[in-house]
Amino acid sequence: MVFAALITYFQAIVLGLLQGFSELFPISSLGHSVILPGLLGWDIHQNDNFFLAFLVATHLATALVLLGFFWSDWVRIVRGLVRSIRIREVRPDDTDAKLGWMLVVGTIPAGVIGLLLEHPLRHLFASATSASLFLMVNGFLLYGAERLRRRAPGPDQSVPDPDARIARRLNWRAALGVGTAQSLALVPGISRSGSTMGGGLLAGLSNEDAARYSFLLATPIIGAAAVLKVPVLFGHDGDGVRGQALVAAICSAVTAYIAVRFLMRYFHSNTLMPFAVYCGLAGVTCSAYFLAT
Amino acid sequence: MTKNRALIWPAIIIGIALLALAVLYWVDSADALPSFIPGHEAGSGHHHIKHGIAAFVVAAACFIFAWFQTGPSSQGELT
Repeated sequence: MVFAALITYFQAIVLGLLQGFSELFPISSLGHSVILPGLLGWDIHQNDNFFLAFLVATHLATALVLLGFFWSDWVRIVRGLVRSIRIREVRPDDTDAKLGWMLVVGTIPAGVIGLLLEHPLRHLFASATSASLFLMVNGFLLYGAERLRRRAPGPDQSVPDPDARIARRLNWRAALGVGTAQSLALVPGISRSGSTMGGGLLAGLSNEDAARYSFLLATPIIGAAAVLKVPVLFGHDGDGVRGQALVAAICSAVTAYIAVRFLMRYFHSNTLMPFAVYCGLAGVTCSAYFLAT
Repeated sequence: MTKNRALIWPAIIIGIALLALAVLYWVDSADALPSFIPGHEAGSGHHHIKHGIAAFVVAAACFIFAWFQTGPSSQGELT
């Protein structure tokens, strides 16, 4: 057995820091976890069973950070959901209930598509070259979302509560569309948060509200995906990587916390454009590198 | 979402069918699944657990949808 050779602690720290950071920034964590090992010449591939087990821990850490960051919001949202189930209707003045059901409506299609297509798509687009090309596509998508948002009605800034603004602006169809857009992130290189933020912008949310909605939408889907795969981490495939996974999870939690704090402030007055430029340039550069080597 | 009581029973029936499908995915191997069901694979002993979870989630959504349709049709319904 040569488990020590599977993934080193240094690699675990780098990949953990990268995961927490890139999961919430709209730059595709999956794409970066494919591209970076390729650039550094690491013998780690996203379809390796031990690497999947390793990633479970980092995803779980990210989901827990998101849950903790928005804990009071989630308590209100869950109470709203229970309240609406009890009375069998979503009252128009019940922001928490409406937001909660919009998150459910957005999570179900993404979850179902993920359950059915995650495995084949992961194998189809496993290479660093395709991840680089899709990172470039991600840049165009972010750019397009920022450009097209001008056609959408602007956010109602007279409403101070961001959840109320989101619940007022999004209708059920838009919630379904924004949620389903998360499925694009099954392709390495396309960002989940970028897809949902872009969808939110097109639906008329501000950058700040789109980011908030994206992070709320991310929590159940990342958490459920990680919980579903926890047995992999504690099974045979996790042998030899559990220590590294724990270290990576801690690193991931730290950068995820910094990322969500930073982004919630950043999007108060800034746009997706820098991320679009980064994804475009990084995608072009990495594609050229991988195609040439 | 406007309330339409005519959708209650279709939602329940679809929900029950999906629930049965979920159980089928969990209990039967890919080989034993009826050939018209996605995931059927002759000679495979693999259980499509994730397909089952997907069917279960959509079934739950159908039941919740039906439950809301049984609620009072007030003017406060969201659009």
